[in-house]
Amino acid sequence: MIEVDHLVKRFGAVTAVDGLTFTVRPGHVTGFLGPNGAGKTTTMRVIMGLDAPTSGTARVNQRSYATLIRPLHQVGALLDATALDGGRTAAAHVLSIAQSNGIGRRRVAEVLRLTGLEPVAGRRVKDYSLGMKQRLGLAVAMLGDPPTLMFDEPVNGLDTEGIAWIRQFFKALAAEGRTVLVSSHLMSEMAQTADHLIVIGRGRLLADTSTAELIDSSTRRDVLVRAPRAAELAVLMTARGATVHREDDGALAVTGLDAAAVGDLAAEHGIAVHALIPRTASLEDAYLDLTGESVEYRAVTPVPEGAVSR
Amino acid sequence: MTASPAPAPARAQASPPIAVRARDVLASEWTKFRSVRSTFWTLLVAVVTPIGSTLLVAVALSSQPRGAPPIDPMLPIFISLDYAVLAIGVRGVMAFSTEYSTGLIRTTFAAVPHRRAVLAAKAAVTGAVTLVAGEIVAFATFFVAQALLSSHHLGVSLSHPGALGAVLADGLILPVTALMGVGLGAITRHTAGGIAAVVALIILPATLALLRPPWGGRLGRFTLLDAAHQVTALHPAADLFAPALSLVVLLAWPALILLAAGLVITRRDA
Repeated sequence: MIEVDHLVKRFGAVTAVDGLTFTVRPGHVTGFLGPNGAGKTTTMRVIMGLDAPTSGTARVNQRSYATLIRPLHQVGALLDATALDGGRTAAAHVLSIAQSNGIGRRRVAEVLRLTGLEPVAGRRVKDYSLGMKQRLGLAVAMLGDPPTLMFDEPVNGLDTEGIAWIRQFFKALAAEGRTVLVSSHLMSEMAQTADHLIVIGRGRLLADTSTAELIDSSTRRDVLVRAPRAAELAVLMTARGATVHREDDGALAVTGLDAAAVGDLAAEHGIAVHALIPRTASLEDAYLDLTGESVEYRAVTPVPEGAVSR
Repeated sequence: MTASPAPAPARAQASPPIAVRARDVLASEWTKFRSVRSTFWTLLVAVVTPIGSTLLVAVALSSQPRGAPPIDPMLPIFISLDYAVLAIGVRGVMAFSTEYSTGLIRTTFAAVPHRRAVLAAKAAVTGAVTLVAGEIVAFATFFVAQALLSSHHLGVSLSHPGALGAVLADGLILPVTALMGVGLGAITRHTAGGIAAVVALIILPATLALLRPPWGGRLGRFTLLDAAHQVTALHPAADLFAPALSLVVLLAWPALILLAAGLVITRRDA
């Protein structure tokens, strides 16, 4: 269990985490989502006792991380898979961390086998691919067989097979009753892995909900209509209580009438319809709705010269 | 917080005694220390270069013209430590700086939230290994130098009054430098910065010795170079601290730096 309570973290004038409160419960894979720069990594670092909070608290299994004795038995984490001394072999790397928590060589061999690294454990990690480093990080996280696990962007650098493997890995951990928090900036990734989502933007909580509820909550649900006599049809649909938006290419985005009703209405008045497409929101859309306002560094669409009012 | 599935029970474990935890962190740092190649190369440089350079210095000193002031028989082995000190100081800095530059320090501190224990363990491992290396170098260079000097009737034997103490003290210079490196690596969190700091703390205060008498000696006796010189000389200078007090000065440098490192290491974000 991870409990974050009114957490604030400032770096000078920059507020990275701004009053965040949430609880990560056992038995689920919880997705920790937000655009780059939203404060995910900072929050995880505070939970791990690496960064001191400006105010508020973060607790793991009802304790503050800094007070944990042999914390690897309580929390396993992978924050940055590339944070390795390249000159060391994988086996020596894992062993050195295991020893600090009184974990023996047998368990070191076990986690290397679990992550499929056993045949390459004697190689220096500078020769490892990013995917292998991710597996190495998972091996370290699993050393103490902890009830709580945290992974920061674990999918980065994995190939398709690796992604499928890691998804099953997370689900299996949660099924064993563990608390699993997985961060990502990609909604599409989380949609297939997480059953609960904590969405943040600019250090604030935007949503703390199940994945299914988040999709339902999205307002984007409409019917796309293409018709040569679009203007005429728009007037008829508006009269039936629909809200009609004309899109850039002349198509109509209709809410308030379903596709069948639009088709019937057009037929009644002899208006040809070239396309009639019901559109439902994807999780990606729901995510964009939530975070659209909170992206830290947004690419600016160039404005033609002269269009800018002075 | 209701109706959530029963959490996996946190492994019930009695908190192990502090001695066990200290031994674990030491074992961890020992594994880190011995599992990188730079350790081997640094120790090789630290042991081999002083022996070679002692030969040269001893030859140069023993061929001084007749009537030149007599040299301290310990001087060649003291001078020969230059390169070893540099290599060992760098290795000391790297104990922390490589972990900070790679980000590995977060894994380390996540595994051992008691950061001062990490500092102490790194210092203990680095200090112990460099002490052994330092004493090997001190005795090896002593015998090489005396073999050469004795052919010019300048040498002394280990049984000469003060010789054994001077050789043992000579062996302390490497661990002193290594431990300053460990502390400065933790403070600067940067390899180049740490090395610059080690070199600066050794060399810059030495300029104090150039002050007008009696100030040169009064301030100079607090510097590393003069303190090291006093404890390793058979004929210590009269205007500096006595060897015993100079030994305290010599050991105080790394001690104070490690203390400062212990203060800042818990206050900063990793």
